[in-house]
Amino acid sequence: MKETLRLQYDALVIGGGIAGLQSALDLADQDFKVAVIEKDATIGGKMIRLSKVFPTLDCASCITTPKMAAAAHHDNIDLFTYCEVNSLDRSQGRLKASITQKPRYVDPDKCIGCRQCEYQCPVYVPDQEQGGFNLRKAVYIPFSNAIPQLALIDVEHCALCGKCAKVCPTEAIDYFQQPEDFVIEAKTAVLATGFKLTPMDQKKEYGQGQIPNVISSLQMERLLAPHGPYQRVIRPSDGKEPDSIAYVQCAGSRDLSLGISYCSRVCCMYAIKQAMLLSGALPLADITIYYMDIRAFGKGYEQFFQNAKAMGIEFVKAKVGRIEQGENHNVLLRIEEQEGDGRVVRREHDLVVLSLGMVPDWNPAGICPVGTGDDAFIKCVRPKLAPTLTEMEGVFVAGVAAGPKDIVDTIAEAGAAAMEASNYLNSSASGRAA
Amino acid sequence: MGKPDKEAMKALRKQRKAYIDRAQQEMKKQRKLIKAIKEQIKDEPKTVPRIASEAKLQADQVLLYVAALRKYGQVVEVDKDGDYFTYKLDAEA
Repeated sequence: MKETLRLQYDALVIGGGIAGLQSALDLADQDFKVAVIEKDATIGGKMIRLSKVFPTLDCASCITTPKMAAAAHHDNIDLFTYCEVNSLDRSQGRLKASITQKPRYVDPDKCIGCRQCEYQCPVYVPDQEQGGFNLRKAVYIPFSNAIPQLALIDVEHCALCGKCAKVCPTEAIDYFQQPEDFVIEAKTAVLATGFKLTPMDQKKEYGQGQIPNVISSLQMERLLAPHGPYQRVIRPSDGKEPDSIAYVQCAGSRDLSLGISYCSRVCCMYAIKQAMLLSGALPLADITIYYMDIRAFGKGYEQFFQNAKAMGIEFVKAKVGRIEQGENHNVLLRIEEQEGDGRVVRREHDLVVLSLGMVPDWNPAGICPVGTGDDAFIKCVRPKLAPTLTEMEGVFVAGVAAGPKDIVDTIAEAGAAAMEASNYLNSSASGRAA
Repeated sequence: MGKPDKEAMKALRKQRKAYIDRAQQEMKKQRKLIKAIKEQIKDEPKTVPRIASEAKLQADQVLLYVAALRKYGQVVEVDKDGDYFTYKLDAEA
């Protein structure tokens, strides 16, 4: 029987998004050996999939890509992508993580990322990296600045025609690859497991994801990105350049009918950011934001909101009660105004964006003894004085894994988690990994 | 990996039969759809609604495949016609 591979590190970071990468880099720069475990085939998390960031309107990729490259090239960091964490336990003073490497069906030591396999593959598959608005192949590299640049085969859509193996110049295709289990032992860990958006299909009143020109905020990020599905903003039902775009705020937050009572903290600002970017991309389009309250709490955020108003973006204080399919692929909104006489009115738009909220992307139940709060995010045991401490000794939390927050706060918290982990390592008697 | 063993491939095909059958059916549909779209735009650029109407296809499906064909270098965006962009086959593809 094959012996399970056991690897030793000082720190284990679970999640390769911006929080995980920042924690890993901060620890590695202090000369600790760090392993980063990522469930996707590439590191970068949600941030690498965004167009720009608020309130500076810097290119998200221009900030994230150097962090990804720095982590990939750091002597003290090893990246384990396309992996699942099965368990994380502490025994005899060390953390032990049982991990499964999912098969890519491509030999990572041979693949040179040339994409010849992808070009030859005859099967098209909806590309979720592009919000489902474009297609990829059954063998593919997730996106052009993915790290690592390694192809993988989606076996559920693979016809096993052999074309990829035939054109691969390095004979990297391995149809017989199997999942491989291995163990990482470390003294400390940082949980940076991020978030996902509230599902589109939950709210009956908003069409349950069945109205083609009602899209999510992350789908709009892809439409606005330079390497987006259409390389411009057009609506997905028929390719029309929209003249009228609406944002529905609190579409997945502060809504007890969805079981989400909390505010997701970033939706107001990302909607304003997207509205400003749309004003630039489509100068003649009317952009309306239907909101309950605008929460512009961070540094420079209120000014950003005021700038958006000055640019001509219409802010309507109203609750959207119903979204329906209109004529000519348009979308009808039934809204209750919260100013003036509070009347119910109907308005029509070419494209509608739901400002969906944040929910955790990972549940530690059954994997590690870390508790969660009523909101299902990881519980912080000292939220005011040490917000990165969890219920498990030597295990810290960073970023949205602990609760909704923006990128600025996520990066600051990731640095704090790295410092807590570093202090923990320095205070322990057994020293650093060899 | 070198050339895979014939018997091993046969066993793998049997094991993944459900996926392979589905992928092959999907491929057939896709080939037909792509052929119909390419036929429409080989001589002149057209908008998505026009391709959809003349090829009797759904506009969202046409846009999805036009976007994919653009990504893989077979279709190019040309001019704007009203609120819509036009697309044609890339002569160099």
